Amino acid sequence: MRESTKMLLHYITGLLIVVTGLIHLLANNDPNVGKLITGNVYLYLTNMSVFLASLLYHAFNGIRVILIELVPDACWTRLIGWALLLIGIATYAVGIQVLLMSLGLV
Amino acid sequence: MEQSSMDLWKPIKVIRLRVYRYNPKKDYFPEWREYEIEVSRGTTILDALLRIKEEIDPSLSFRYSCGQALCGSCAMMINGRQMLACRTRVLEVAHGRDLVELRPLDNFPVIRDLACDFTSFFEKHRAVKPWIIRKDSDELDNPTGEYKQSIEEYARYYQFTDCLKCGACYSACPTTATDHAYLGPQALSQAYRYMVDSRDDGFDERIPIVDTEHGCWRCHFATSCSDVCPKYVDPAQGIQLLKKLIIRRKFGLKPHRPAEVLPSKIGEVKRR
Repeated sequence: MRESTKMLLHYITGLLIVVTGLIHLLANNDPNVGKLITGNVYLYLTNMSVFLASLLYHAFNGIRVILIELVPDACWTRLIGWALLLIGIATYAVGIQVLLMSLGLV
Repeated sequence: MEQSSMDLWKPIKVIRLRVYRYNPKKDYFPEWREYEIEVSRGTTILDALLRIKEEIDPSLSFRYSCGQALCGSCAMMINGRQMLACRTRVLEVAHGRDLVELRPLDNFPVIRDLACDFTSFFEKHRAVKPWIIRKDSDELDNPTGEYKQSIEEYARYYQFTDCLKCGACYSACPTTATDHAYLGPQALSQAYRYMVDSRDDGFDERIPIVDTEHGCWRCHFATSCSDVCPKYVDPAQGIQLLKKLIIRRKFGLKPHRPAEVLPSKIGEVKRR
């Protein structure tokens, strides 16, 4: 994947964090929105999955950028990228499992 | 009584120049050495350095060439800021005090005293292929006419043609300070200059060079490069426009309009 694609995703996920985070915030604090979102468990799950995915991509890509600037070596750059991708996927899997359990779906 | 032109050259103040001295082949540590010289209103840092070399300390090393802010050879840190020695007047930077501090550019290895090693800087400059790349080899071999360009097409890149390659932007860049593989503001803004040139066909050749982990995406837009540029080129803007150019190309969009690069009239940037 080209660096421009990674960074474009970084900007898109930044925007998604704001949108889905706001929905999450309103769903838990505004009774009207709460009724609409938490009333439909799958809508809530979708919003939270997108929020978690965006948050993890944005955060881990940020860490990747910091690390490759501090260790500007081609071999380390690849290693850092793969390591963070694996940690991100694992964290996402755990996050989704917790979410499903809290919603009573598993 | 009217002041004669000769009076302008009379020394009016004694200034202490605190100069960084270091010879990596000989010295373990760098040291600071102070020189006292008399300066007049028009004395530049380069004049002062030449006088020190001729009259006080011939061992002092620094680099210069044209002496009129055209070659960029004499860029150095003057009172902690990247400036051209030939264009900076001693009394202007002294700010009423009697001390001016001179040291070599940051982010460059020191060859000796104020002279830096520009090898890596020029390697990065060359890496972005800073020349017009054409695909019509027949036309290049047997030219039938000029490559014409409209004023709008010229306006897209004209301010970036003023780059002196003095290294001031590279020295001021906080990303270059940590990431030695980062291409740097000078090379990236030059890449942009050629990528938006209507006569150039090298976009696809330059993409694998600038769209990398240590390419244009590592710019944090601190704008310190634009802040110190002695020719008022705006490398930070060039890098942001380069990012925009790459993203637009990704979505199959044409390059942005020249109006986004420049104010309405050419020359306005110069008058800032």
